[in-house]
Amino acid sequence: MTNARTARSARERSAVLRAEAARREARRRSIVVTGVVAVVLAAVVGVFVLVQTLQRDAEPAGSATPSTGANGAVTVGQAAAPVTLVAYEDFQCPACKQYEDANGAQLAGWLAKGQVKIEYHPIAFLDRASTDDYSTRALNAAATVLDLAPAGYQRFHDALYAEQPAEGGPGLSNERLLQLAVAAGAPEAQAKADIDGLRFKAWTAKVTEDASKAGVNQTPTVLVDGKPPADHSPAAVAAAVTAALAG
Amino acid sequence: MPPLPRPRLPGPGPETLSTLARLLAGGVFAASGWTKVVDVEATVRSVRAYDLLPESLVRVTGTGLPVLELGLAALLLTGLATRLAAAVTALLSLAFLVGVGSAWARGLSIECGCFGNGGFTSNPVPGYVREIALDTVLIGLAAWLLRHPASRFSLDGALRLTTAPTPRSPAQKRVLP
Repeated sequence: MTNARTARSARERSAVLRAEAARREARRRSIVVTGVVAVVLAAVVGVFVLVQTLQRDAEPAGSATPSTGANGAVTVGQAAAPVTLVAYEDFQCPACKQYEDANGAQLAGWLAKGQVKIEYHPIAFLDRASTDDYSTRALNAAATVLDLAPAGYQRFHDALYAEQPAEGGPGLSNERLLQLAVAAGAPEAQAKADIDGLRFKAWTAKVTEDASKAGVNQTPTVLVDGKPPADHSPAAVAAAVTAALAG
Repeated sequence: MPPLPRPRLPGPGPETLSTLARLLAGGVFAASGWTKVVDVEATVRSVRAYDLLPESLVRVTGTGLPVLELGLAALLLTGLATRLAAAVTALLSLAFLVGVGSAWARGLSIECGCFGNGGFTSNPVPGYVREIALDTVLIGLAAWLLRHPASRFSLDGALRLTTAPTPRSPAQKRVLP
């Protein structure tokens, strides 16, 4: 009986020792694997950031800045107009279309009377709202008009909002963008090359980034002499303009 | 006398719960990482909208974050280096919690951008509440995994990096390390 008990306790002890050794071994391997995984994870993140940064900084060949509105601001109306209305807009943005549809007539009236000049900041941050990066293509086409026929910008701008595609589907085709650009006064051959070749794509990214840096994170962002109207209804915009004209 | 079997509590064991915790946290990071990585520029803008980081760090953070989240999702879903993944999950969720909490406290109207869309919104509070709840749950899951890294169907298990707790006979004294 004593023998049996001794044998059993020896067996137990060696089982405990084996379990201890197994646990130590598992711990050692776990430390090695954790270290390797941490290094690999850090390397993957680092390489991705590096590649993205290099890609972004590399100006694509043939990319250009439009001769008008190079800094992203396109001013329409008489330079002497006392009130400046700033509008950040995306051609894909439905709320911008609502704003344009509701306010287009009174804006045109103020422009004609020389009371208001509009400083457009067209940006492109809604590429994912269409299946074919319409936001960027539309802004590139707008830059084409700015470059080739700046006087036709307002007309092109209005046409894009009148024909704004619904979210979730394809945007206007390059052919349609070209037709509208030509109607706004751009010479067809050069406009076609610029629109099909996305010649101003880097510029579209830059002005969008600049807007973000300026704290603009939604469109439309409307400022009347630096102050936002209460909302984007014609009444609120008119009230803001009247106050600015009086002030 | 053979060692007594450990008394089993009714319900799933800790290893099963750990598997569920891994899959849940991994699923969340896979979804949020994917929506961020498909539009890195939008992610950069939403990081900037929080107005917490200096401009020099905004781009690196916005670019690196989606990949970090996807890497974390891969570790959690496969159960590799679970402790490390749980620790990073806890830190990241804590950082998000602080970011959203501070945006709320400062009265910013950010549409959190947690799942990619970062912009401003007129009614941000439901989004803030949702995000804070999600981060709290993630921190809870990470805490559980830090304490119970061993789980079923894990690479850690397959590589024998975790051992099931050895049953102790009642007579055994605790072996001090």
